[in-house]
Amino acid sequence: MSWIYAVERAVRNNVPKVEGILKDHPYLLDLAAKVRDGKTEVLRNLDRYVEETIKAVERSGGRAYLASTSEDAREIVSKIVGSGKTVVLGKSMVAYEAGIRKHLISTGNDVWETDLGEFLIQLADEPPSHIIAPSLHMTKERAEEVMRSVDPELKGASHERIAGVARKFLREKFVKADVGITGANAVAADTGSVVLVENEGNIRMTTILPEVHVAVTGVEKILPNLELAMYEALVQAAFGGLYPPSYVNVSSGPSSTADIEMKRVRPAHGPKEFHLVLLDNGRKEAAKDPVLWQSLLCVRCGRCHLHCPVYRVLGVNWGIPPFTGPMGAMWSAVIYGDRRPAMMCTHSGGCKEVCPMRIDIPRVLEELKARELKR
Amino acid sequence: MEVENFIREVLVKSLNEYMMPFPTDKKVCTEWAQDVPRGGGTVIYTGCMYQVTPVSDLFNRALPILSKVKGAEKLYPLASILKPTNMQRERANRVLRSIASMLKRNGVQFNYLYEDEPYSGTVLLELGYVDEFAQYAKRVKGHLEKHQVRRLITVDPHSYYAFSRYKEFVPFDVEVVNYLELVKDLGTRVKGEYVIHDSCLYSRFLGIRENYRSLLNNAGVKLREDPFVTGPLTSMCCGAPIGPVRRDESQKIASYRAYQLNQLGDKLIVVCPLCYLALSPYFKGEVVDLAELAYNELGTGQRDTS
Repeated sequence: MSWIYAVERAVRNNVPKVEGILKDHPYLLDLAAKVRDGKTEVLRNLDRYVEETIKAVERSGGRAYLASTSEDAREIVSKIVGSGKTVVLGKSMVAYEAGIRKHLISTGNDVWETDLGEFLIQLADEPPSHIIAPSLHMTKERAEEVMRSVDPELKGASHERIAGVARKFLREKFVKADVGITGANAVAADTGSVVLVENEGNIRMTTILPEVHVAVTGVEKILPNLELAMYEALVQAAFGGLYPPSYVNVSSGPSSTADIEMKRVRPAHGPKEFHLVLLDNGRKEAAKDPVLWQSLLCVRCGRCHLHCPVYRVLGVNWGIPPFTGPMGAMWSAVIYGDRRPAMMCTHSGGCKEVCPMRIDIPRVLEELKARELKR
Repeated sequence: MEVENFIREVLVKSLNEYMMPFPTDKKVCTEWAQDVPRGGGTVIYTGCMYQVTPVSDLFNRALPILSKVKGAEKLYPLASILKPTNMQRERANRVLRSIASMLKRNGVQFNYLYEDEPYSGTVLLELGYVDEFAQYAKRVKGHLEKHQVRRLITVDPHSYYAFSRYKEFVPFDVEVVNYLELVKDLGTRVKGEYVIHDSCLYSRFLGIRENYRSLLNNAGVKLREDPFVTGPLTSMCCGAPIGPVRRDESQKIASYRAYQLNQLGDKLIVVCPLCYLALSPYFKGEVVDLAELAYNELGTGQRDTS
C-alpha cells in the first residue's frame, strides 16, 4: 500500500500546482504549441538536424557523437571518462536508459547521482518509478530509511532534513569531480547548445565544476534553434509543476572568455571539454513511423503519469524503467520493442488531456495494441 | 498471447455468425422494449450492452482458462446458455425503459431493430483488434443500410464511441447521438447526495460530461465532487475495458476507483453498464445508473432518497 500513499501524496502536491501555474502564466500554452511545432519539424527531418547539431557543437569548441545503441553510448562515455575518476551525474533518464552509471562504476570510477531522487534510487538500488521524479514510489519515511545509509542518525526527519543530508554528502563529490554527466532537456541545432532546467542546483554544479562536461541525451531532444530549446525547458518545468524553475542552464561548448582584447579563448573557469552524446536506440526508426512518431514529442514533464488509473495502481510495474506510466507504455515500445505495456491501457484519457504536446497517447497505444495482436 | 489469440478467434467467429460478441438469446436483448415500433429511420440503439454486460465477467474469468484447452473454441456456441439472472434482467429492462421514457417525454420519436440490432463491435476496437473492427464495421454498415437506419440514438458510452469511430474505417453517414444529448430533464426530483463516477468515454472522448451533470443538478441531486477524484482531468477509469485480457489488473483498478469514490460518499451514480459491473463489487454502498433515478412509465414516480 505504500505505493498508493506515495503517489496520492504526489498527486495532491503536484496536480493543483500545475493547474495554478498554467492559470497564472497562460503564455505557457503558446510556448508549448511552438515547441510542438519545432519538435515536429525536427522529427520530420531528423538526420539533417542531427548533422546540423553535431557541426554546431564542434563550432562551439565541443565534440558531438551519434550513438546508435546504448552499448555505443557506454563505449563513447567510457573513452571520455577513463578510469579512476570521480564522476557526478546531474540526472539523465537517457543515461539511465543507456546504463551509464553502472557501467562507469564497473570500469573503476567513483560515480554519484546528484539529483535527490536519483541519489535515493542509487542508494536503494531501485529503478526509477517516474520519468522526472524517479523516487516517486518512496514515501518520506522510506526516503529517510534509505538516507540512513549516509546519516545513521536520521529519525522522524522532515523533508528538508532528508534533503540536507544529500546536500552535505554530495558537496564533496561536486568539488572533487573530474567529470560531470548530465542529460539535456533540449538541444539547439543552430548553436549546439544544451539547455537544462532544474531546481536543485545540482545540474549547474555538475556542468560547471568538473573539467569535463558530458551531456547524454536522445536525438528527439533536438529543437531547430536556441529560442525553441529555451521554451522547451520552461514548458517542461511548468507542466512538471515547478515554475518558475530555480535555474535554467545553457551550455554551449566548453567554458570560454573574451576578456583579453575581446579574443575568445577556451577554457575559462568552467569545463575544459564539452561532449554531447546523441543517442538513437530506436528513436530514428520511431520518427519515421506514421503513428509512433508522436511519442517522440514527449518533453518528459511526467504529468500523464499522475492522471492514469493504470499507473496509479501498478506504478513502476507498468512499463520498462525509466519508461513507466502512459508515456512509458509508448516508449517501452520505441526503445525496447516491447508493446505489452500498451495492452494495459484502459483509454481513461486523462493523459491526452494533460499532455503539453497534445500527444494522443490512447491512440498511439491503440496502434501498439493492434500491432502486438497481429504478431 | 494465448488468451489474446483465443479471444480474437471466438469473438470474430461469434460476430460473423451472430453479430454479437458471444452467442446470446436475443430475448434477453429485446424484452425491455414495450410498444416501441419496429423499424429503421431513427432507432434507439442498445447494443445489448446493459442487457448482457452482467455476464461478461464470467467470460473474463473463463477465457484465460479456456485459451489453454485445445479445441475450446468449439465450445463457444454453448455460451448462449449463459444468461443474466432475473434480477439483472429486470434491472437492465428498467434502465432501458427509463431511457426510452425520457426520450419520449422529450419529444424524441424512435424505432428499434429488436433482434436485428447488431452489436457495435466496440470490444474489438477497445482491445486493439483494429483490423477485425474495420471488417466488422463494414458488415454493420451494410446491415444498417438494409434496415434503412439513418440515425442511431445510443444509450451507452462504448457503443457511442465505437460508432463515432466508424468513419475512420468505412464511409458512414448514419448520424450517431447519445440519449444524454437529447434529454433535457430527468422528469423527476431526486433528493439526496450522490457521488458521480464519470465514464471516460463520455467525459474525455465524447465531450458530454456536462450533459449528465446538468440533468442531475437540475433534478435536485447534490453531487459530492472532489477535484482530485471527480475533476475533468482527475477522474479515472473503472478498469473494465481491459477485463477480458488483464482481469487481475482490471479488478485492481476497479477496487482503487471504488475506494476513491467511497471517500466521498456511499451513494454512487454511474452512466455506463461496464462501470456499474466493475465498481459494484467494490463500492461500499448503493450504485445506480442515472437512468434508474429518472421517472419511468412503470410508475415509480418521484424518487426521494433523503
